[in-house]
Amino acid sequence: MIVRIAAAVLIALSVQPALAQRGLKDIPPPDPAAELAAMEIADGYEVNLFAADPLISKPLQMNFDPQGRLWVSSSSIYPQIRPGEVANDTVTILEDRDGDGRADASTVFADGLLMPTAILPDDLGGAYVANSTEFLHLADTNGDGRADSRKVVLSGFGTEDTHHIIHTFRRGPDARLYFSQSIYIHSHVETPQGVRRLNGGGIWRFQPESLALDVFARGWVNTWGHVFDAWGRSLATDGAGGEGIYYAFPGAAFQAAVGTPRVLHGMNPSSPKYCGLEIIGGRHLPDDAQGLLVTNDFRANRVCRFRLTEAGSGFTSEKLPDLIHSKRVTFRPIDVKMGPDGAIYIADWYNPIIQHGEVDFRDERRDRTHGRIWRVTAKGRPLVPRIDCKQLSAAELLGQLESPEAHARDMARRELFARGGEQMRPEVDRWLAALDPKAANFERLRLDGLRLKQGFDRGSATEVDLPLLQAVLASPESRARAAAARIVCDWADRLEAPAELLAPLVDDPAPQVRLEAVRALATLGGTRAAELALHAVDHDRDDSLDYAVWLAARELREAWLPAVIDGTFVDGGKFGRVIFAVRSAEAGAAVPRIVARLREGGLSATDRAAALDCIATLGSPQDLRLVFDIVVDPATPPAEASTLLGHLLGAQQRRRAVPAGDLIAVEKLLASSDDACATRAIEAVAAWKIAAAGDELAAIATQATRSPAVCGAAIAALGALPGNASREVLLQLAKAGSGSVQTQAAALAALVPQSRELAARQAVAWLATASDTAAIDGVYRAFLTAKDGAATLAAAIDAAEASFPAALAKSGLQAISAAGRQEPALAKALETVVARSVGSAAPQPASGPRHAMTNADLDAFVEFVRTKADRGRGEAIYKRESLKCVSCHRIGDDGARVGPNLAAIGAASPLDYIIDSLVYPAKNVKEGFNTLVVLTDDGQVVTGIQVSRSDEELVLRDAIGKEVKIPTADIDEESAGTSLMPAGLIDGLSREELADLVRYLSELGR
Amino acid sequence: MMHLSRFSPPAVVGLSIAVAMIPWAAVPAAPPAPPPAWVLRDGDRVVFLGDTFIEREGDRGFIETALLAAHPEAALTFRNLGWSGDTVWAESRGVFDPAAKGYERMLGLVRELEPTIIFVAYGRNESFKGDAGLAAFRGQLGKLCDDLRTAAHANAPQDVRLVFVTPHRFESLDADARNAALAPYSQTIREVAAEKQAGLVDLFARLPEITAGAAVTENGVHLSNVGYAQAARVFVEAGGRPLPTESTDPSAALRKLVVAKNTLFFHRWRPANETYIFLFRKHEQGNNAVEMPQFDALVKEAEQKVQNSAKELR
Repeated sequence: MIVRIAAAVLIALSVQPALAQRGLKDIPPPDPAAELAAMEIADGYEVNLFAADPLISKPLQMNFDPQGRLWVSSSSIYPQIRPGEVANDTVTILEDRDGDGRADASTVFADGLLMPTAILPDDLGGAYVANSTEFLHLADTNGDGRADSRKVVLSGFGTEDTHHIIHTFRRGPDARLYFSQSIYIHSHVETPQGVRRLNGGGIWRFQPESLALDVFARGWVNTWGHVFDAWGRSLATDGAGGEGIYYAFPGAAFQAAVGTPRVLHGMNPSSPKYCGLEIIGGRHLPDDAQGLLVTNDFRANRVCRFRLTEAGSGFTSEKLPDLIHSKRVTFRPIDVKMGPDGAIYIADWYNPIIQHGEVDFRDERRDRTHGRIWRVTAKGRPLVPRIDCKQLSAAELLGQLESPEAHARDMARRELFARGGEQMRPEVDRWLAALDPKAANFERLRLDGLRLKQGFDRGSATEVDLPLLQAVLASPESRARAAAARIVCDWADRLEAPAELLAPLVDDPAPQVRLEAVRALATLGGTRAAELALHAVDHDRDDSLDYAVWLAARELREAWLPAVIDGTFVDGGKFGRVIFAVRSAEAGAAVPRIVARLREGGLSATDRAAALDCIATLGSPQDLRLVFDIVVDPATPPAEASTLLGHLLGAQQRRRAVPAGDLIAVEKLLASSDDACATRAIEAVAAWKIAAAGDELAAIATQATRSPAVCGAAIAALGALPGNASREVLLQLAKAGSGSVQTQAAALAALVPQSRELAARQAVAWLATASDTAAIDGVYRAFLTAKDGAATLAAAIDAAEASFPAALAKSGLQAISAAGRQEPALAKALETVVARSVGSAAPQPASGPRHAMTNADLDAFVEFVRTKADRGRGEAIYKRESLKCVSCHRIGDDGARVGPNLAAIGAASPLDYIIDSLVYPAKNVKEGFNTLVVLTDDGQVVTGIQVSRSDEELVLRDAIGKEVKIPTADIDEESAGTSLMPAGLIDGLSREELADLVRYLSELGR
Repeated sequence: MMHLSRFSPPAVVGLSIAVAMIPWAAVPAAPPAPPPAWVLRDGDRVVFLGDTFIEREGDRGFIETALLAAHPEAALTFRNLGWSGDTVWAESRGVFDPAAKGYERMLGLVRELEPTIIFVAYGRNESFKGDAGLAAFRGQLGKLCDDLRTAAHANAPQDVRLVFVTPHRFESLDADARNAALAPYSQTIREVAAEKQAGLVDLFARLPEITAGAAVTENGVHLSNVGYAQAARVFVEAGGRPLPTESTDPSAALRKLVVAKNTLFFHRWRPANETYIFLFRKHEQGNNAVEMPQFDALVKEAEQKVQNSAKELR
């Protein structure tokens, strides 16, 4: 996918490691008392230090065990092992034996580890540890509290980025181990069931006993937080995704998932990035804290709270005021867990420097020795009594499942799992039999009982409790039914007709139950499962539920498609199910069946629209003709004609499919008074190359009665039409003084595909007189997006010599930069013009950034920003239209989405990094904002940030925030680009103004 | 791609070698005859290529150690290019690219390493496709064989010795079915070995014989330390030396040095943070690529310790 440079020694650009984070001069002293004093803590709470260096250092993940001990994995090697360095990272166990809220014992359980990004006790004295490429099991066989056995459980996890390696271990209520990997990781893991592969991010689900390993959900940049609620529903955070809290279910895919054309979204758009996730509650915490989610915005030194509300098939999420906010740059909360005493525990990685992309691996300011665990308690409220689950009887453990503390319930469940089904199953049966069906929590407890049996299961036929499963599937509580649907899958190999168990659930009144049933049916597979899953099409679907059915239709394609084609598919008289399935799975082979059904008539308006959409999207040229005839039928309303034309154009664009027969009839729609319809008709004329419509397009191009958008579309369409006639029209339109500058610019742009040389000569002459910034930009962009366009323009500029104005050359250089590419020929030609204007013979390197600084300059400037700059003035500068900041970046909810959200830039980035990024935009590009440059078969050059990619299609977001879809088959070449942020944007600012702008940015998120 | 310095065995002093000429040139191509015997020679640069079985051998070192111990008169160096989950198509090696690119990179590594003998251990992961995947496997294994020889020695590919390794058996819950699927893959490997004049280490057939069916895996799929020690005996025997006596860790000190060397080499050829060091974000941290060649000297030093220790076994 990425063009790689073969030589390891090739070091890109002028990397100046010393530059990064120069603003980080005032690293506070690592005194925990001072760090505590600098915390702003929410009313009603207080914080104390549970543990700090030297007891622990650089904590990466922490998890309690059922005895109440806290296991912490730590790495001083991160981000990169040095040549010759021996991997010696550790796992430490912390204990608070006297219960005073401070760790009083610390044992190094294991060392010799390589970046152990995750730790989870096995509850038998050992632990599972993430160890770069490996998922390890460490055991203490002699009971001395230290690991003496180390076994590789799974291997083959990628390490392409060491803060992406497997992380976030969590034991699920089903006894499975859940863990994540991040966006750059490619994993290939051998299991007894075959190789499991995952490219990109996702959450794995794993059963250590059978080594059964599957992908639970995919995507995200960094799923550094994952928690289950009381009903076993998964909530997650992304350490770089910026959409807050995510609701995940089996098969869900989110931003950056590899190989899927469709993704789901988080519930808090435009929010910062979060690490670690826990649901808080229990008797120690006040009423208004019950059930809140707590996570960490480590960049902005904050511990954050969210409130979830059930909605549709999932939730909505609302951000609440912070629990903790520190002004100290070293406070880096990265994990959060409820503790055995009812308090909230927060792991503080403690580091002035986060990330290793932007800051040098070997920067000496990276902290490698400190780390803290903070403990948050509610003022004046009693703690909950601590329990050592190892000391409890089975009956007592089961009793703990009724605890108001989720932590106690989790630990009791884990202890029961650790003791195993053989001994515990009879106890669970006794406990279940004694439950009071009238009790308020009966449905949850009964589900817990079922979950215990699911967790005990080692695969034998006798372990399936069908009556209990059926009872919970029929529970009056929808959340219990939803949870039970998933359990059907785990037992399916021993159930007689698992799909039938799910049959009532796909038509359940609760959307979440339908969602889980659909996903379970997709996992089961088979024609009957497909028939049932598609019942969900009959009901309302929010985004998650619609996605769930869409995915099921795709996954079960082989189960329903042959039946649909031969007419044996059982749709219960609901043809909408078939249309949905065909459209979702892009099953072109079934389109004739839809055409036939459409001709039979009698479809509802909704089904008819969906059928036409389906045919236009997937049909053969003959099928498309059917749609075309409806488009040009005078009885068809313009809005419908416009929609259908859009589908037909999509078919042309995405798969080169054109309706059969003569298409001249579309010309009639050019006269439509509906702008959208007329525009689509114009685009169709261009796409289908209907030369006979050229005269009418030429007329529309300058018609005063038409909207500018329609005129613009007509001009662009002329560019796509072959022949001298359209070229002559465009040449006339492009002449300076012949019409509006917008028309001239549009005509110039349209000439580019017709003839590069002609357009370039014409453009150079026009640019000499032009002054409209947007029009000039548009012309440059037309050349930059055509194959060889930039080089041809460069030659024309060279030929024009002195007549080319220097000011326009500068905007040309900006346009190159905004295209996210290097265009050396054009850049040189433009730089030569600039150089000539200042009396220099050759392009001078000084035509680089105006604010380029030496290290000494930068030191002085950082100081100037600190002492002299003004935040208020900086904000005004940020909002200046000429600077274009807001046209690409958001701060919170305001602004565009082309570049990274700057809401927490100040908290996350030191001054020198901010300055550097303004002066050299291409140098440090934020994760997920690297560009791709794609050359298509028809000579188009598209630059943008990848939104999604599947086998069929690549979607890029370009510099104006528009999504561009490119069929994979049309891609000629691909290469890595730089940044979409133009260089030289700040060249118009004085030193003082730049300082104000930097000051403003540096305070964002603080 | 990274540049690896070609590894050459340190001089072994006072050696007198009398190694028989390899007879395989005389073996007719068809009909498939039993694969030719293979031996290790003084100065051999050995590459191990394969899936998890090979990757974990790098961390365990049993086979490498046993071969060193069985050939005390020869200076041998080993480079382990195993990758979990890999197949003859290099499916685990694509990283951000398609597998085909990973295949090219793997051949590029072989080109740089210039091995004289390559052990190729595939077939387990491919066997999950069953008989339907057999023909494609056969074709690609043959192609891999040719490509490896050309990569290792473009001017005289016929001089590059290949040794195919059949997968050891599954011991998982559904082992019978899995081994039934694995058997034709092992047979294919034997046949392609014969066609391509390659040597053979037949773990599938021989390992159960020498262990009398005792368990060799730790999870049904991957060898335990005991399993590796047993597999190492099969390697030694296949290479023309007497079957070593049974022992769980016969040369523990040497094995430790072997593993230390392999760990250094792993950090060299599969470094963490590749995205920043070599790939599309190298404009940010590409300067740290200077550390990678620093591993070469360390690998060499570790290798000398291995050699010195191996010599003492004489």
